[in-house]
Amino acid sequence: MAFQTSASQAAPFEFRGRTGEWFGIWITNLLLTIVTIGIYSAWAKVRAKKYFYQNTYVAGRNFDYHATGLQIFIGRLIFVGGLILFSLLSMIPIVGLILIIGLLFLIPMLLVRSIRFNAVMSSWSNVRFGFDGKAGGAFLAFLLYPFLTVFTLYLAWPFADRAQRRFVTNNHRLGKSPFAFDSNVGPFYTAFFAALGWVILMAIIFAVLGGGSIAVMFTDPQALEENPAAAASILFGFYAFIFIAFFPAATIYQAFIRNTIFNNSTLDGKHKFHSDVKPLQLVWIVISNAIVVIFTLGLMLPWAQIRLARYNAEHTQLLPGGSLDEFVGQIEAQAGALGDAYTDLEGVDVGLPI
Amino acid sequence: MGAAYGQTSAILRGRAFAPLQSGGAAAQMRVSGATVEVLGEDGAILSACDRQVVRFDAPIGTAPRRVTLPDGTLFETADHQGVENAFGETTGSKIHKIERLHPRMVGFLLVGIAAVWVIWRYGLDILAAAALAITPPQVVDAIDTGTLQTVDLAIAEPTNSSAEQRAKANEVFSTLLDALDDDTRAAHDFQLEFRSMPGLGPNAVALPGGTVILTDEFMRLFPSEDIQAGVLAHEIGHVVEQHGLRQVYRSIGIAVFIALLAGDTVPIVEDIILEGNILLSLSFSRRSENEADSFGVDLAHRAGYDPAGLVMFFDWLQDEMGDSSSWLSTHPSSAERLERLQELIDAQ
Repeated sequence: MAFQTSASQAAPFEFRGRTGEWFGIWITNLLLTIVTIGIYSAWAKVRAKKYFYQNTYVAGRNFDYHATGLQIFIGRLIFVGGLILFSLLSMIPIVGLILIIGLLFLIPMLLVRSIRFNAVMSSWSNVRFGFDGKAGGAFLAFLLYPFLTVFTLYLAWPFADRAQRRFVTNNHRLGKSPFAFDSNVGPFYTAFFAALGWVILMAIIFAVLGGGSIAVMFTDPQALEENPAAAASILFGFYAFIFIAFFPAATIYQAFIRNTIFNNSTLDGKHKFHSDVKPLQLVWIVISNAIVVIFTLGLMLPWAQIRLARYNAEHTQLLPGGSLDEFVGQIEAQAGALGDAYTDLEGVDVGLPI
Repeated sequence: MGAAYGQTSAILRGRAFAPLQSGGAAAQMRVSGATVEVLGEDGAILSACDRQVVRFDAPIGTAPRRVTLPDGTLFETADHQGVENAFGETTGSKIHKIERLHPRMVGFLLVGIAAVWVIWRYGLDILAAAALAITPPQVVDAIDTGTLQTVDLAIAEPTNSSAEQRAKANEVFSTLLDALDDDTRAAHDFQLEFRSMPGLGPNAVALPGGTVILTDEFMRLFPSEDIQAGVLAHEIGHVVEQHGLRQVYRSIGIAVFIALLAGDTVPIVEDIILEGNILLSLSFSRRSENEADSFGVDLAHRAGYDPAGLVMFFDWLQDEMGDSSSWLSTHPSSAERLERLQELIDAQ
């Protein structure tokens, strides 16, 4: 029962979830969500998050997730109501334009509220996380900077991404202890060019293998119209290219960035982190997961999720710079779940890469 | 009394955290009668309270149970059975039992698949119909007005058609409207607008509120009243069946439902599911076209026109455009449509 508190020893992350156990929870979540036309999904989300958080340990202590299903449900209800209203009003062109401008202000607010909600509802070793970022910072990091990179043909994207990671990490706390992340932009460019390199490599391979039929598309479109099978195979080839080129590239990028963030972050100025996720191993896991899930019509999803969580945990460590018993929590102001509903339903992924 | 308390007494082993502190230590929870005490390893009482006011986190899997005392002291134990023995069932005990891996999960799966089918087949239509029923007519009118403004701004020029051409089309349009029953006619704000839209070719477009736009190119190519009646009746069909808004509601419904289900999948799978969503909405669009065809043929016939008018239009379209594949398009292929239409006409 004694905690590991030695300052010098690395404390690995450890994921103790098991496929069979998670399968039972997952399928119950799925069934109840379907028969309640989605209403149970709020409670299902809490069950799922709790399962993964409570089974993730650092130095023998686990994380926990504290939101209630009702909170999430109310957030989602308000969000879906807003979404319907928005869809209707945006069909009126002039109003639609005003709404889009309104979104520029609304989205950063929702993002910040979402990150804050998730931070406040998460804990490690009995201490809740916190988040102090403001909407203005989120506007710069998530909307303005990414938009400006368009003018550099996205070549400045690593700068925008670094700004996002700084904003998210540096505004997080564990109780009263702040997280801090900084890094020069080099590792972000490494990730960027590694991902780009993969896409180019795949493009060359595809061009060599299927170059003929793509050339036909441009030189003799008439031939394709008369031969639907060839057109279909080009379409299939196009999807195969996305699958083989872009998804792995995104994974490679994520792996590099994850390592960079962990390896350059501190907690309370003294505790450090280490992540050594291998990009190509992660690509293998992500691709094989997707294939297995697709060919089992989703039934192996719990297995895939556990596998990914375990891999990530196995490649992450906390390097304590002092006692882990000295974190002190503070009473956090209540946070609404509306922002959380936004990031959930729009599939936006923000927050700490635990 | 003492004896009764004795029976409910229990000792749980685990660890305890002081309120808001990350430093935890091995501890015991002693439940005796109405009192709950958390004891340190040395036997000192760290916290105590009445058993009625302890708060339980719902159990999940085999992860440690968490019991929180009112002062914020957290007690954590791996002894699920012990907690249940001492306190009986807590919040979440029932769902925890249901979630246990068991052959009944096969049943869960089958019920789930059946429920998805029912929602897909009936649920979405019911939800969309309910949403349509509560949509204020002002919103629908505003959509028409706004869309027409945008069309004028972006792709349409004022009409160059002659007064006779317009009078003829107006005549056909009002004859068709007269053939509608009174309630249907009153429920929509039918209006025929003329525009020159070279980009769109010979075409007619229906907006949700009842505005139908007819292009100059259409009137020039198809002076035949029967063809005009066929196409206009088809567009009136879209308005009466409320396809535009219905599709908006359906796609919101599907998107939300899929987002709720797929929320936390694994990378890639999520993207593929979203792609599937688009294909599903296309299939609904093709269904709408078929419904509007049936409605149009029937209406044109009732208004006294040759129901084959729409067929002549699609004949021309097929010759002009060639045929296109089906599951990737918003409209059914012309050949498919012609075949269906012929059956409808034969049935008249």
